[in-house]
Amino acid sequence: MGMFTESIEVARAANGMPLRVKWQGRDYRLVAEPQRWFERRKWWDENLRIPRGIGAGLADYEMWRLQLVAVSGSKQEHTFDVSFDAQTERWRLVRVHQELAQSA
Amino acid sequence: MSFTHLNVSSSYSAHYGVSHPRTLAQAAKAQGAPMLALTDRDGLYGTVKHVAACMTEGIAPILGVNLAVLDDNGATLGRIVLLAQGHSNGLGYAALCRAISLAHNTAHGVPGLSANQLDQLSKSGNLMLLLGGESDVARAILKGNYAKARGLLVEWKKRVGKMLRVEITTHLSAPGSRHSLGEASRLLRYAYERQIKAVLSNAVRYVDPDGAVTADILDSARALHSLKNLDFCQPNGQGWLKTPHEMFQLATEIGQATERSWAHQMLRETEAVAHWAAIDPVTDLGWKSPVIPEARVIGLYRPAMQELTDRVYGAVPTLLRNEAPNVVEERLALELGVIERLDFAGYFLTVAETVNLITEMGVRVAARGSGASSLVNYLLGISQVNPLAHDLVFERFLSDTRTTLPDIDIDVESARRHEIYHKIFSSFGEERVSLMSMQNAYRARGAVRDAGAALGVEQEQVDEIAKQLWRFSASSFREALVEKPELAALAQRITDDTQLDILIDATERLDRLPRHISMHPCGVILSDASLLDRTPVQPSGIGLQMSQFDKHDMDLMGLIKLDVLGVRMQSAIAYTLEEIARMHPSKEQASRAGGHTNDSYIDASGAIDLAKVPLDDEPTFDLIRSTHTLGCFQIESPGQRELVGKLAPREFNDLIIDISLFRPGPMQSNMVKPYLEHRHGFAPAQYLHPDLIPALAETHGVTVFHEQVLRMLDVLTGCGLGMADVYRRLLGNPEKEPAVERYVRTEATKRGYSQETIDQVWEVLSGFGSFGFCKAHGAAFAVPTYHSAWLKAHHPEAFLAGIWEHDPGMYPKRLLVSEARRMGVPILPLDINRSNGHYRVERVFEYAPAKVPMVPRAVGSQRPGRYGIRLAFRDIHQMSEREVQRLVTGQPYEHLADVRARAGLSRRTYQNLAALGVFDSLLAGTSRADTIAHTQSMVHSSLPAKYRPGPGQLALDLGQIEHIKATGTQLDPAEVVRTELDLMHLDASEHLMTSYRRRLSHLPITQAAELLHLRNGTEVLVAGVRIATQTPPMRGGKRVVFISVDDGTGCIDATFFDDTQQRTGPLLFSTRMLLIHGVTRRTGPRGISLQALNAWDLHQSESLPVAGYLEEQGRPQISYRPKFGEGARKSESVGELAKRMEAEGLDQRGA
Repeated sequence: MGMFTESIEVARAANGMPLRVKWQGRDYRLVAEPQRWFERRKWWDENLRIPRGIGAGLADYEMWRLQLVAVSGSKQEHTFDVSFDAQTERWRLVRVHQELAQSA
Repeated sequence: MSFTHLNVSSSYSAHYGVSHPRTLAQAAKAQGAPMLALTDRDGLYGTVKHVAACMTEGIAPILGVNLAVLDDNGATLGRIVLLAQGHSNGLGYAALCRAISLAHNTAHGVPGLSANQLDQLSKSGNLMLLLGGESDVARAILKGNYAKARGLLVEWKKRVGKMLRVEITTHLSAPGSRHSLGEASRLLRYAYERQIKAVLSNAVRYVDPDGAVTADILDSARALHSLKNLDFCQPNGQGWLKTPHEMFQLATEIGQATERSWAHQMLRETEAVAHWAAIDPVTDLGWKSPVIPEARVIGLYRPAMQELTDRVYGAVPTLLRNEAPNVVEERLALELGVIERLDFAGYFLTVAETVNLITEMGVRVAARGSGASSLVNYLLGISQVNPLAHDLVFERFLSDTRTTLPDIDIDVESARRHEIYHKIFSSFGEERVSLMSMQNAYRARGAVRDAGAALGVEQEQVDEIAKQLWRFSASSFREALVEKPELAALAQRITDDTQLDILIDATERLDRLPRHISMHPCGVILSDASLLDRTPVQPSGIGLQMSQFDKHDMDLMGLIKLDVLGVRMQSAIAYTLEEIARMHPSKEQASRAGGHTNDSYIDASGAIDLAKVPLDDEPTFDLIRSTHTLGCFQIESPGQRELVGKLAPREFNDLIIDISLFRPGPMQSNMVKPYLEHRHGFAPAQYLHPDLIPALAETHGVTVFHEQVLRMLDVLTGCGLGMADVYRRLLGNPEKEPAVERYVRTEATKRGYSQETIDQVWEVLSGFGSFGFCKAHGAAFAVPTYHSAWLKAHHPEAFLAGIWEHDPGMYPKRLLVSEARRMGVPILPLDINRSNGHYRVERVFEYAPAKVPMVPRAVGSQRPGRYGIRLAFRDIHQMSEREVQRLVTGQPYEHLADVRARAGLSRRTYQNLAALGVFDSLLAGTSRADTIAHTQSMVHSSLPAKYRPGPGQLALDLGQIEHIKATGTQLDPAEVVRTELDLMHLDASEHLMTSYRRRLSHLPITQAAELLHLRNGTEVLVAGVRIATQTPPMRGGKRVVFISVDDGTGCIDATFFDDTQQRTGPLLFSTRMLLIHGVTRRTGPRGISLQALNAWDLHQSESLPVAGYLEEQGRPQISYRPKFGEGARKSESVGELAKRMEAEGLDQRGA
């Protein structure tokens, strides 16, 4: 399993569920129901300020596990863990699951 | 379909919940929820706030509690939630209260219930048990012990049966962690296996996502670990009051992970439980209907009103001999009429019964507050003030317009307060009485400490910051950093250190959150035998049970509260009277000692009945006018001494006015100056309208008392005094005042008052309504003020002993040594055979005629120097009460070995006593220094075994065995003072300042005693020990700091304005020994104070000014002198000031 943290583009449906992903210039679509959870965030290490009213996304960030295939080209399945930071409103690619990718 | 949150913790779950019940209720309402539960941890601390908030929002409250489940050793197995059944005529709520009281009655101090107790409690069918994410079942699932989890669930079902619900919560945390979707799904599956109904919750800790960070900090504070090392914190930040839509979505996700239909069933069951538990505040809680003790408990065998009427009329002949019968008759008809219509007779009899209990114990007792306005209270013996004599208005206390019980506050001797509580409990019965609690909230200091610990900021750094936080709330921390000069250095550091920046954010988040409850200092709840069905109780620090409700909850819950307030001055007065009778044990002796011309108030044993002492004693007013009022109740502060000097009281009513004027409102709104000018005849009194003369004549046209506001409103509108008090309470309330103004203007116009008069009167009313003072309160206070001054004038030694013994005042004990010198009262040193555990008056035989003391004494009373005060063994550093007892029991002692043999002192105490010269009178030929050296060399404080008498043996003559080497060494006086300060916190042998004089010898230092002879505007340098620091709020928002120092010849009061504060920086609050450069300001014939220009720390010799400082060109000059009159008015209107005072808790309306 490889560890990344790089920028990734994710488009969501109205209910918040990811629909499409663009990564390293390629478009991917989902092939299975994605899984979501909220991961603990160590704000005391990461933040310089925690004023009242700063809002959501300080104590956790949203994680999605996505099973994807590229829209064009190889039909190989990839499993990505991506995170969404509510404070910066940015998506990051956190990890790519190699074993799953190979077994697919 | 709706969704109801059944598991919600508010900020009243100390160190756990984040949001106030009101915030939660408002949010629930905004989300469209018809109901909302509050299930705080360990108690109903926030329940009444919750119910009130729900009623305001129009949603139904649900009540419950989150409790630990304990094993036999008191270890926590998990936590569950209990919900009370609603609409059950209080049965569900009563069961909840009893369950919580039971949970707090554990032997090991950890609140919680055993599984067996829960089994019993569920039998009644009034309590629903929710088994959720904190339960032992969920814990087992989290650890992967699935079989154990299933087994536990079976046991719960067996125990609780149909009152059991499984509570499903998911915070969508990472797989495998607490509140994960997997855990929730598994728990739901197990519930279905066992056919246990399930409900959905979000285990709410904060109203919105922003609160998650605060919850983390609270977790850290609770666990006493920094966030880095915290292993049991929330898995993420999802525990907020989610909307119904969000909750439905969670249900859907759980349904997808299990069975789709289960999600619907779970949501339906949640609403079913919510309906079952919805509370009707009136029928379930007895909302707002007061419950008094049963008639027979207060000795009542006929209707309360009849009993009350008879008792009141029965007391008239003895207490009101000199009042005109028709006046008394009219007043009693008014008061008894109101009491009858409100059905409060039982309440008055209850209070009377309590006061009677206290009086029978021989304890001094006095009513304070508006209760003194009532003639009924006076005749029942509750109050010592005759309201007819002082023209007090009953309606300020009670009228037909009032629906809640009036507060009657009772002052008792502080030293006997706990004894009184025990007596009340045993007389009324444990099931009817409880102490009241109070919530202690985070303030700046505590908040910065806990926030610092959470963030792992170095302890030293946090302590240093905490020390600087003085008198402002954490929420204004950032503002204070900018404004306060003493924080300038800290502000700079914060710019440099990012860790401090986040520390301040964290501190602000904790500010005002409840931390823990404690015993309220004076509230006692009295009720009937149903009390424990209506409030949960827990043990207090003094063993008596304490309600979980605070003073704001009382009226709403129909609980009657008495304020039985321990007042040290009452103890000091009681002690003074005992000392007088002990030293002068007959009518003649006591009369002679005090120079009393009238001895009708002294009995045959020398005991003085202060209640019979006339209130017009000339020597007493001489003393007060001299401003040597240190130790006198209410009039000893620097500001009061200044005011007393200007006002020069001549009669008792002047004292009432003085006390009422010395409040933030009158002082700042410039009421004092016109009053004084009119009083002394410098300017004619001005009245806004001739009709107002009767109301305002006693204060020369200046509005001082609430009573005057009532009369003005009544004159203007004819509304009656009762309604006038209702309007008065609305003055200053931004929402309600406009309606009052409209009413007043309309009615006054109808009654023919000119527009101009109405405008002027309204300005006075709206401005002063909020900070006028209740005259009855002033009158009640003026009684101990007068009594203490009377005792100081007639029996100064006994009075000083009383003050010393009970320490009632604002000043440290060491200042009383200086006062004793000014009073011509010798301080007799600690002595092994003459001192005991108390400060006692002692005859001085080696009488040396003292010079005329500065503090005046009553003519004919004992001459100064004949009696002194012997220092006591109490208050000696590290000497325990038991050591004092043993030492005193063994008196007298013949020699040092005798002390060692019999007193049983620890080595340290023995050495300390030697250092203080306690053994000096046992010494022959050796000095104190020798004794100290001797005790330092001892290994044990008791005698070696060979010298101790065996059984049946006579004691040896021990005189021979202690060999103290005489070296001729003498102690340096400065060292003696140092020791006294270290061990007794006072400088008895000479003044602390004496040793500093040397290092100031190059400067022209002015002494306090010389100040009074200086002209206004003289530039001086003064030095002394800080004795008081005050920072009252000021008009225009600029802070002024008052610092009083004592230099041994008297007190010097210095005022530090903004520019001087900038100059002095941090030493303003932290330095003990001060050198102050200032300019004299004459405040009255007997008053002078300083306007400070600069100050230095005497300990920092290198920073002290050099010789010739007062001639230096560059020294600070007076550049700024705030005008308290017209100039300031522009920057802050009276209305604005009133608002600020309310915000700062200085509003006196309720007093």
